[in-house]
Amino acid sequence: MSLTNLFSVSSICLVGASREEGKVGNVILKNLKKNYMGEIILVHPSAEQIEGVKCYRSIESIPHSIDLGIISLPSKKAVEALTSLAEKGCKICIPVAGGFGEQGDEGKQLELEMKRIASKFGTRIIGPNCVGVIIPRTGLNTALTTEERSNFPSDGPIGFISQSGALGLLAMDEFSDSGIGFSSFVSLGNEVDVDETDMLSAMGDDDRTKSIALYLEKISEIEKFLSESRNISQKKGIVVLKGGQTESGSRATSLHTGSLLKTSFSLNGIFRQNGIIQANNEIEMIDFASVLSTAKPVRGKRIAVVSSAGGVGVISTDSLENEGFKVNRTSNELAGIIKTKISQLGSPFNPIDMTAEATNIQYENVINELDKSGEFDAILAFVLFQTFGVTEDIIEFLSRFNKEAKTSLVVGVIGGEYSRMAITKMNENGIAAFPSVGRAVSSLGALYKRWEFLRRFER
Amino acid sequence: MTIVPELEFKIMLSDLNFKMPRRFLINSPEDYSGSFPAVLKVSSEAITHKTEVGAVMGDIKTMRNFKETFKEMKRKFPGETIYSEEMAKKGVEVIIGLVKDQQFGKLILFGIGGFYSELIRDVTFKRIPIDRFDSEDLLEELKFGRVFEGYRGLKVNREILVDLLLKISDFAVKTEFSQIDFNPVFLYEDGYLIIDAKMVI
Repeated sequence: MSLTNLFSVSSICLVGASREEGKVGNVILKNLKKNYMGEIILVHPSAEQIEGVKCYRSIESIPHSIDLGIISLPSKKAVEALTSLAEKGCKICIPVAGGFGEQGDEGKQLELEMKRIASKFGTRIIGPNCVGVIIPRTGLNTALTTEERSNFPSDGPIGFISQSGALGLLAMDEFSDSGIGFSSFVSLGNEVDVDETDMLSAMGDDDRTKSIALYLEKISEIEKFLSESRNISQKKGIVVLKGGQTESGSRATSLHTGSLLKTSFSLNGIFRQNGIIQANNEIEMIDFASVLSTAKPVRGKRIAVVSSAGGVGVISTDSLENEGFKVNRTSNELAGIIKTKISQLGSPFNPIDMTAEATNIQYENVINELDKSGEFDAILAFVLFQTFGVTEDIIEFLSRFNKEAKTSLVVGVIGGEYSRMAITKMNENGIAAFPSVGRAVSSLGALYKRWEFLRRFER
Repeated sequence: MTIVPELEFKIMLSDLNFKMPRRFLINSPEDYSGSFPAVLKVSSEAITHKTEVGAVMGDIKTMRNFKETFKEMKRKFPGETIYSEEMAKKGVEVIIGLVKDQQFGKLILFGIGGFYSELIRDVTFKRIPIDRFDSEDLLEELKFGRVFEGYRGLKVNREILVDLLLKISDFAVKTEFSQIDFNPVFLYEDGYLIIDAKMVI
């Protein structure tokens, strides 16, 4: 059965709902109740209702079909519930609890049993040991964290798959107030059935998902994963943060190639070949996924830097050149035009410095001229709200430019609370905005890598 | 695991138009009609690390020297096939390898060769087959990839190297192997030569 159903489930059955504050079965219910737009069905052996939601005594006694089952019960009981849900024709089941394969032979047996149920009934199983599946567009949220302590992001273009549930939820919380939205978050847990490639395919087929971020520690079937990545990355960007070492499957051998494979194997070249962009940490992973979902791929190495602070222009230039980009001088003709648009004290060459006299309209004029000139593949604009003439109204122009212009745009905003709020607004408006030179430049790097992969399919 | 005798593998490669130094099968020293310096090699199913056991003797400058070396080799490796090659002039050294991996399938390895190669271990991998973009990426992914822009008077023709990697990928698609070394390969301004080639099936 297709996993893409996950994005549109209209009825959920929570088995193991709890009345007790702080218990997993209670936290999940509260998270579900908050935003879920479909029908919630509870199963409890004795309670009439919990949190105002009617309870059924058993799965069998539910009078209609169920799209998704969430099982918040320990080991053996979880398998029993899973069987009943599967027999009822439930499409997808999420066993939440741990204590299976990671805890010895008995748990492994139970996992094998789950696998059998999945293949017998065609029910797809996410987990066990799945700490959260979040689909903001329907309000589905099975996370084990409470909203008092952590937040969940709103709907948006990023699909996020994590083999570490905790790291995934931390990253989601980190970005929850950034204005970056997620189409889906899936913690894979112990992967008795659904693995990283299955989930990647489902997000690949989901139209609302524009880019996919994955945190991976192990890849079960690497050939399958790579070829699926290559297919999907022709339509949407894929970012992988790979934790731990990946070794090749080859044993020691007599030739030099074999020994180098043992001592010096690296996934970098192979990921790149299959359209996967690698991130170095959890922030980069989401930054890259975000920029890939909103900004245009950067089709070359020529970058124009625009700012109202000379120093920001200078370190951006250094940072861009370190990343392999060229901050080439504007042509005399273009410099002549820009000179008429900015303060006399400014510099019309690249990096373009509009000085503290910069205004929204100057930004607009300069960015438009840069685009028109065709001299650059991307514009890195530092919009600094400490500059008196720069106001939030600029977001409207940036948003329009991002949609209509041919040159890629990445925005940097440096500063405290006011600036962070502006970044949130920009992100909400589909503008790729970052709070530091380093993050803006690395994200441009991701956009360039995206084009490097895509160009092989251009005619 | 079977080692394909080097001479046999090289003949296979010659048939596919891979470039190697001129080569002669030597039953007696008179069979050699190439230039000097020359190299004498034993082609065997048993020996993979030749230099250590004296199964490769290079820098043979005269016919007299050639005869002596041949005689010595015959004595050390009775019954083995011996062949000779013209010694190639120094080029930029790279290693190109192929391996069939249990997880990844067929992989191509590309790396910096030469004296420090085992120390710096500057290598990168792609899955077979590769396209032209992948082939160019292989060059770019090496930390010392700038060597292909020219180094100490040695120049490299990038186009020829990119084509060679594609040709090796194509060969890998059509061939069954467990591991193959092209090590070293010398790169020049106007071409390349595969100096040593080993294959294990």
